[in-house]
Amino acid sequence: MKTNYVGKSVPRVDALEKVTGQAIYCVDVELPGMLYGAVLRSPLAHARIIEIDKSAATRVPGVKAVVTGNDFPYTFGHMVKDQPFLAMDKVRYVNEPLAAVAADTEAAAQEAVEKIQVKYEELPAVFDPRKAAATGAPIIHENLERYDHSSMYKIVPGTNVCTHMTYSRGDVDKGLSEADEIFQNEFYIHPVAHTPMETHAAVVQHDPSGRVFTVWSSTDAPYQRAKDLANALGLSFNQVHFLSTYSGGGFGGKGAIVAEGIGVALARFTKGRPVKVVFSRQEELTASQVRLEAFLKLKTGVKKDGTLTARVAEITWDNGAYSSKGPEVARRGAMTIFGPYRTPHIRFVSQLVYTNKQPSGAYRGFGTNQVTWACEAQMDIIANKLGINPVEIRLKNFYQDGDRYINGQVMQAAGLRETLEKASQEIGWGEQYSRSTGALVRGKGIATTIKGTATPTDSYCFIKVNFDGSITVLTSSVEIGAGQKTVLAQIAADSIGVPLDSILIPNPDTHVTPFDFGVTSSRTTYHMGNAIRMAGQKVRKEILEIAADVLGANPQRLLLCEGKIMDKDSEHEVSLKEIMTKKYGGKGGTILGDGHYTPARSSIINAEHKIQWMGSIFWMWATHAAEVEVDTETGVVKVLRIAAAHDVGRAINPMACEQQIEGSVIMGISNTLFEEFKMDRGRIMNDTFADYKVASMLDLPVIVPIIVESHHSEGPFGAKGIGEPALSPTAPAIANAIFDALGIRFNELPITREKVLSALRERDPVQ
Amino acid sequence: MKISIDLTVNGERHQVDTTPWITLLELLRETLHLTGTKEGCGLGECGSCIVLVDGRPVNSCLMLAVDARGRQITTIEGLVSNGDLHPLQQSFIEKGAVQCGFCTPAMILSAKALLDENPDAGEEEIKQTLSGIICRCGNYKKIIEAVRTASDGKADS
Ligand code: FES
Ligand code: FES
Repeated sequence: MKTNYVGKSVPRVDALEKVTGQAIYCVDVELPGMLYGAVLRSPLAHARIIEIDKSAATRVPGVKAVVTGNDFPYTFGHMVKDQPFLAMDKVRYVNEPLAAVAADTEAAAQEAVEKIQVKYEELPAVFDPRKAAATGAPIIHENLERYDHSSMYKIVPGTNVCTHMTYSRGDVDKGLSEADEIFQNEFYIHPVAHTPMETHAAVVQHDPSGRVFTVWSSTDAPYQRAKDLANALGLSFNQVHFLSTYSGGGFGGKGAIVAEGIGVALARFTKGRPVKVVFSRQEELTASQVRLEAFLKLKTGVKKDGTLTARVAEITWDNGAYSSKGPEVARRGAMTIFGPYRTPHIRFVSQLVYTNKQPSGAYRGFGTNQVTWACEAQMDIIANKLGINPVEIRLKNFYQDGDRYINGQVMQAAGLRETLEKASQEIGWGEQYSRSTGALVRGKGIATTIKGTATPTDSYCFIKVNFDGSITVLTSSVEIGAGQKTVLAQIAADSIGVPLDSILIPNPDTHVTPFDFGVTSSRTTYHMGNAIRMAGQKVRKEILEIAADVLGANPQRLLLCEGKIMDKDSEHEVSLKEIMTKKYGGKGGTILGDGHYTPARSSIINAEHKIQWMGSIFWMWATHAAEVEVDTETGVVKVLRIAAAHDVGRAINPMACEQQIEGSVIMGISNTLFEEFKMDRGRIMNDTFADYKVASMLDLPVIVPIIVESHHSEGPFGAKGIGEPALSPTAPAIANAIFDALGIRFNELPITREKVLSALRERDPVQ
Repeated sequence: MKISIDLTVNGERHQVDTTPWITLLELLRETLHLTGTKEGCGLGECGSCIVLVDGRPVNSCLMLAVDARGRQITTIEGLVSNGDLHPLQQSFIEKGAVQCGFCTPAMILSAKALLDENPDAGEEEIKQTLSGIICRCGNYKKIIEAVRTASDGKADS
């Protein structure tokens, strides 16, 4: 099909507002009578709350409400309902919110917070999930088994194990016995912060009649948040009204109730006055959420020629003190630890464990970073030991079209090989090059990843053709920063046949825009794109029928293109605006089309009975190839070049795909080489950007984004997704390149300068 | 205690009665409602809050509003002139230099200060100048391209 917009790098539709400073983010929302919130946070990692005295705080001039867990005794949780809005009875991590204040000014709120007196009885704390899972560990949630939770997640009562899962396919003992060599390795991947430049924030108003909480938020899934809040408070869905703003970055971190919960607790007591809660950077780094830390063990049987015969994985994930999306991250992550490789016999055991640390949750990749780190580092270890080219061993084991996934789903793997071939070619894999100059040594590494999307999930939309021919697309897909509005507008324009600039996509409003599962799981282009495509086709059909009626023509002979209706026979052309004006006259009217997409009935996800949920409506493949230079005197690793090839199905907007790829590579470098929390008894010591280093412009390598288009049979115009898989291969590609340079393997992230230096010293002790 | 501050923002004179300890960032965002200037840390470590003071980039979270007395402040809202976008705004749009957009005002203003002083700034200077601004969307490559597009010379091309 010929498209005017799809496939083109049209500039982003939100760019004008953003370059002129007009875009409103959550932190910019200002309302009449608005109060400011501040939060008292726990200084201890694990303690019983004996008493909270808020009397002095309430006397601070300008203070309108001081709220504790006793005043607002509710708990929430997307997967396990384990988290109080404000701590009740116990605190479970350093900087957990204990009490909150709303006042006329931020200064007054802050002053009042400092006047709240709390008495604690300190309890033993545990920070390592492996220790927390052991018998005798201090129990973090005594009532774990009594929390509401989905039956998908198996809780282990009386322990800190939040979810436990095992799965096997084939016969691993047989598979291992068929192997010529068995590899056993352990890997560690550290927690990292999302650090969106816009910290978590919310503005909440409780209408004076007490019926509705209105929440302004830059969350990534307004329906999920509203649903969870309604569920926590015993309200109906329409009593928690989310209004999305622009978002200053999410990366998964905005996929939970964070500032919203504090805002709701305060707004309940401010008699209709809205309350704004904005996290400081310190709060963002220490008390929002982080990527799940994970300890991974992989045992892999391999034939001499590199063929995988069996793989056994054991993963312990750190959930932190509360669940957020940890249970699902652990589940989906564990499933993909076998990588994009055909493995006849597999088994995994995965446990997610509570610790006295800030909650862990979704982080760009949703478990894929953790498992890809282990899987791809081990593939390199295997290749090296067997003397097989790392590219060849991957090609040999890759899924091919028609292979079966671990739940029996038939794979569509067309783009997989191509990502590896193109990335390795671009990095000059196998070519001779000068590997060292003085203390500087170079090396190259590759890593591939597989990422599915949560399946099945639903997206709905409405398309409104207004009486003047302008179009409004009503969707609950937020613009998290990744270009959602632009890509969806391109799909709408080509599905209807109108100019891109006639389309407006307002920010979501849960009282108006219909359900969407959320901007998560790299699902928006595919799912909402499909919903918009359906709605677009409906309104297009109706427009042509109306035009036929107005023009006295045969609707079959009419075309709608770029907002013009053309009669194929007479070649007579009329604008959509004219048709709409003729039809609706001076009085006005609307053409409305709805779209609902769900993959639930697609044969693509057919799999074995009861384990269909393990599959995915589409699979995203990616390979990153890195070239690094290590300074053996200082330990500094410089990433010189990364070729990043991604099978996106079809690039609706190639420039937007490049943004995702380039941005992820930077984030990947940052996660791998620089970012690391320094903890002391549960307290994060580096809680500022000065100490928690993230990549800057000076760390930018040459990035070569490569877009592979395998055309998904059911995707909108063939598209799949891109946001998440772009990050996970970066870390192992860099580590594999460091190994290539130094012959030293780092199985634990991050790979800091100090670690490299001490490994070099160990290898070559100074005489 | 209130004091009076006279300053010019985007060519418009303002007289503001305020407390002596508020920062320029707070004055711009909260008193003058110019929310295009963003706060990413409040500690001088992320660059999100950069505005131009007499043409020089300054972290407005670190500058007291009183120190802006009598000075010319330019914020992102002041870059459009006679309805036309500044060439940097134009190139940021065209080159895809905007993702979430939170760092964008600071990036554009810093780049403007650089190009005003050195219209042929090349890649290295651009990197050095903008490296104090964190873009967590990691859009550095396209930001550099956008600034280079708006610079006259291609010093190191
Ligand atoms: S807000 Fe001023 S430097 Fe971060
Ligand atoms: S575009 Fe998001 S922080 Fe730069």
